[in-house]
This record gives sequence, structure tokens and C-alpha cells, in this order.
Amino acid sequence: MTTMDLNVSPLGQVEGDLDVRVTITDGVVTDAWTEAAMFRGFEIILRGKDPQAGLIMTPRICGICGGSHLYKACYALDTAWGTHVPPNATRVRNLGQITETLQSVPRYFYAIMGPDLTAAQYAGAPSYAEAARRFAPYVGTSYQKGVTLSQLPVEVYAIFGGQWPHSSFMIPGGVMCAPTLSDITRSHAILDHWAREWLEGDWLGCSVDRYLEIRTWDDFLAWCDENESQHNSDLAFFTRYAQEIGLDTYGAGYGNFLATGTFLNPELYTNPTVDGRNAALMSRAGIYAGGEYFDFDHMRVTEDITHSFFRGTGSLHPWEGVTDPIDPEEGRKQGKYTWAKSPRYDVPGKGYVPLEVGPLARQVMADRPGAEAHQDYDPFVADMIAKAGVNVMTRVLARMHEEAKYFRYAKQWLAEIDLHDDFYTKPAEPRSGKGFGATEAARGALADWIVIEDGKIANYQVITPTAWNIGPRDGSENHGPMEQAFIGAPVENPDFPVELAQVAHSFDSCLVCTVHAYDGKTGRQLAQFTMGGG
Amino acid sequence: MLAPPATETLVVGCGNLLRGDDAVGPVLIRLLADRDLPAGVRLVDGGTAGMDVAFAMRGVPRVILVDASAVGVEPGTVHRVPGEHLVDLTPPEGNLHRFRWDQALGFAQWLLKDDYPDEITVWLVEGGSFEIGAPLSEPVQAAVARVADAIVAEVGAGAASRG
Repeated sequence: MTTMDLNVSPLGQVEGDLDVRVTITDGVVTDAWTEAAMFRGFEIILRGKDPQAGLIMTPRICGICGGSHLYKACYALDTAWGTHVPPNATRVRNLGQITETLQSVPRYFYAIMGPDLTAAQYAGAPSYAEAARRFAPYVGTSYQKGVTLSQLPVEVYAIFGGQWPHSSFMIPGGVMCAPTLSDITRSHAILDHWAREWLEGDWLGCSVDRYLEIRTWDDFLAWCDENESQHNSDLAFFTRYAQEIGLDTYGAGYGNFLATGTFLNPELYTNPTVDGRNAALMSRAGIYAGGEYFDFDHMRVTEDITHSFFRGTGSLHPWEGVTDPIDPEEGRKQGKYTWAKSPRYDVPGKGYVPLEVGPLARQVMADRPGAEAHQDYDPFVADMIAKAGVNVMTRVLARMHEEAKYFRYAKQWLAEIDLHDDFYTKPAEPRSGKGFGATEAARGALADWIVIEDGKIANYQVITPTAWNIGPRDGSENHGPMEQAFIGAPVENPDFPVELAQVAHSFDSCLVCTVHAYDGKTGRQLAQFTMGGG
Repeated sequence: MLAPPATETLVVGCGNLLRGDDAVGPVLIRLLADRDLPAGVRLVDGGTAGMDVAFAMRGVPRVILVDASAVGVEPGTVHRVPGEHLVDLTPPEGNLHRFRWDQALGFAQWLLKDDYPDEITVWLVEGGSFEIGAPLSEPVQAAVARVADAIVAEVGAGAASRG
């Protein structure tokens, strides 16, 4: 096999780069390897530190999802220490998590998907001119509005959290803030303005309430053509155009999903425990594999290092997890090829099935029968993938669908905050304990495991959504979820395989992808390019 | 109602606290937070959220950006550069995780139009080590204190001259 180049990540980031190696035979991807080219050592940094160090350090893992990191790091400590969290604090934490996602998604759509949609390869599509008019970087009409207004949701985050990004205002036992009535009214006004101008104005072309009446794929298709305003919305246009350019035909992956769920019900999680978490979630956790649903149990999560540059092989639960890096040169001799560990879930009766995380996973869980009154039940996305399949288009539509649902949740929590009640209960700080905290970042399941001994961190493991999705083959040689999603993708022009960018971007991963394409018959390198042209 | 409160000078410290000397921007913001600064000076820990640097600058007449550099000179060397020399006009594409403040300046010219700052100054502190989890190296520790003093002198003078 041809020698790989390692990329040097731009200074100031710790996410590192992702090399995607694909084999193309007769114009179709036949195999794929994802290689994370940088070592991430947060677990090693945190060992031996004060238990609260995770609140400061993990939000710095990412310049995009810092609020999500804070949310789950805080619950890891809440469960380890057995804190009491007043309902107000949970509302504010939920607001922090949700406003960050409300911001992230339109930025993703216009700044990441937008340029792909206007790629020259699609110039022959009937709606190409219209796509360029809307989505061309900087000059596109929708691009301008979507990106310019994307800042508004995190202004609400900053009202409660002091600043966005990298705030540490969520603490065990609650939140560090004392909002006033004007903070609440200002937050309502900001979100309403954003919804009026972008979400309802440009994206949906109708009210959030009307849009959320959609329960099936047929409902959705009918909605797209119900009137001129909806027909001309960015959402309906994207759906038509995506089908013109074939985004509904590839990028499937396994169709098996995992969600750790998020948004704790404020009244039902005042004494956070690991065991009580699933029942208290509003956006549910769960596993969907081989057509069956399973309850999420964090004890069934392991990280496989067979193909990762860490000593040994096999799988460990994150509480027992070891981060023992080895020289990649040595690792390659043992068949290892990446710095990413391979998170796996032991599905009852099925074993370690690779599972995709992200908006599709969350929305498939939303269709699971048996939702409690406080839990989200929504059959739309599950029906969409039953009718239209799992592919680039439906992965994007699932992500965008959540914007309307999340806007409603955000408004609800704002309205429920009781300014006369507590936002914090001072916790006891036991000198030992084990904790688990999780959330759903915009990109998918995000969780921390902490072990505290003698008042210090004895072990800390973070599993990010990108790790679930871009992880390598496991010990049974099953491809990782994103590796699998590349297989079967058509590549029309090997010199600029925009289709591969579309697959990678549909996962909205945290790594900058460099794709190396090889001819399946000769092994000759066909192309190497960095998605996004940097 | 939606506009941020009036800010005369915005100081943004960029970089990652987890990467040795790359933490110089956020560390500087903490040093400045303990100093007596004139009203109208706002401090922002920009961290690694590049695009948000652009949003933070809206309507602010004067912006001071601080970041680490790795140009290959002696660690702790400080450069003070007018912002217009560092603007990167490449549009943000591919992955927002790689968005840097030099791109943010180019992005901000598009985003903010007439609200783009009149004056942008960039302080760059040359790093020695960017090892994950390491504290600031000694020369950078010394340099960040010097930069803090220089910025206090600058914003103090600015407030006085405007009366």
C-alpha cells in the first residue's frame, strides 16, 4: 500500500485532522479507511487533577461544542458526587446545550454543505443556478442571512453563561448565574427575532407550529408544495435539489444507531444518578440495531484499540479505560492505523455492532414506542428513512428538522424559569466516586466517564460523537460507521470527488478531512484533496 | 434591544488553554481581568471559536487581538502588527473547526461591512512549546506580562485622550 502523508493540524486546534483513504473501482468506492492523524491526550492531562478540572478542560476540546462538553462533564460530577440540582439549574443547562446546537446547525448548513451544493460538478442540474443564487459562499442570499443570524442563539447562551464559547458556568449542584427578568425577556426577544428572520422566514417559509405537524415523509413532501412560501423555502428547495444531484442515493452506512440522549427533565432529575438518567431524558437515549430497539446502558460501552496507536488490543469500559499511546511506526507493524479509538456498544444478542451517532440516531430514538409524557415522541424521521432510506440527504434533513423542535424546547425552558427559586445547591464533595455524564452535541452522542479516588481524578475518559462515527475497524474487522458510509458512493470525477465530501460533511464531524483516493485495480493514487480546499 | 452594550475597545485572546504556549491569549485575558481597566474596554476569551471573533467585533471602533505565533523566532518574542496586514479572505469552508482569527478578519469585513472596526491591532507572542497539557513556558510567561502592561497603557491612554 502506498505510504501515507500525515497532516499537521493548524495551530490552536486540538481536534486534529482526519485522513480518509478510499479505494475506487469502476467509479464506485469499494473500501475505506479513516485515519485520525493526531494524538489526543485529554485523559492523560486530567489524571491526578482536581475532580472539577473536567469542567474547565473538556469545553476547550472544541471551539464549536464547548457548551455540550460542559453539560456532560457537569453531569459526570453530579452523578459521582450525588448532588442536588434545582429544576431552574437544569433549565438553564438545557438552554445552554440547546442554544449552542441552534447556532451550530445553520452555520453547518450554509458554511459546510453550501459550498458542496454549488460545486461545479452539479452545473448540469436543472436547479443549479438557483442553488448558486442561494448558497454560494458570501454572496448567496440565504448564506448571508443564515450565517449572519446564526450568532443570535449563543447570545442567549452568553446571557446565562457569561460568554460563549468556553464558559464554565455549569457546576456540580447547579449553575453559576442569577438571571433577572430582563435577561429572560431579552432571551425571548433574541430567539423570536432569530426564528422570525431565519428559521420561519428563510428556512421553513411557515410557522414552527405548522412545520411540526409533519409526522410522515408523505406529510413532508406534501408540505413542500403546500404553498408558494413553503415551496420557496430553503428546506423545500434543498430537498428538491438534493434529489436532482443524487444525495438521496448514497452515504447509507449501517443504519444502526446509538443516542445517549439529552435534555434532562428539570423536575425529574433533581438528584442525578446514572441509573435514573434514561427515564429523566426528554430527548431519549437508546440503541437501534438490526431493526430492534434496546435501552441504553453505559456499562455496555467499550473502546476497542485493536487498530489504534495504543498498547495492546481489545476493549475496555471507559471507567477502566487506558490511554497508553505507542509510536505509530510500531503500531503500523501491528496493523494499527489511527489515533482514534473505536467506541463500540455490546448490543444484547448481537455483540459489538458499529453504531452511527448524530441527528438520525436521535430522531430514530424519538420514534420508539413507550415515550413518557415528558419525552419527545416524533415519528417523522424514522418514517423518512423507512421510505427514502439512510443517505446524505436524509442525514442532513434529520439535522435540520431538529432546529424547529429545539426552538420550541428553548422557549419552553425560558418560560419555566422561576426567578424566585434556587439555581444552585452546594454539594458535598466526597473523596471518591464514579460518574457518568452525557449529552447530544449537534454532531451526536458525547459522554464523560470519571473515577475519583482520594479527592483526585483517577481516570477520565471522553467519547466524542466524531469518535463513534469515524472510529476505525474493530477487532472483528467491522468497518467504522463513516467508513461504511463511504462504501458504495459513486465518484464521477476522481480528481475532485465531491461525493466523498458530501458523505463526510453529512456527518458534520469535528475533523478536517483529507481524502486520498486509490484505484482499486492498480493501487495508483488518483487524487488527494482537503475538503474545503484549505 | 439586540445590540451588545457600547464597547470602545475589545480585547480578544485567542488560542487553546490545553496546548502549552498556545494558551497565551486566554491567559492574557485572565491577567487583564484583574487589572483596573477603563469603562468601555471589553475582554473576550476567544478560545478556538474562530468565527465568533468576527461576531464579537461588531460595531467596536478598536480591537486588540492576542494570539500565539510559531514563525520560528526566539520564544517569547512579541510582534505588534496592524490587522490589515493579516486579513485572510478565504471564505470559511469545509470545517468550521479550523477557522482562525485571520480568516475571521476577512469574514468580518464581509459580515460587518460598515460596522467593521476602524482599528485592529494584533499582538503575537512567539511560542516555544505547544505540547498538549503543558503550562506556559518561561519566556512566554514573561512575555504575556509585558503584553498585558503594554495593553493597559494603550487602552488607558485611549480612554484619557477621548476624555
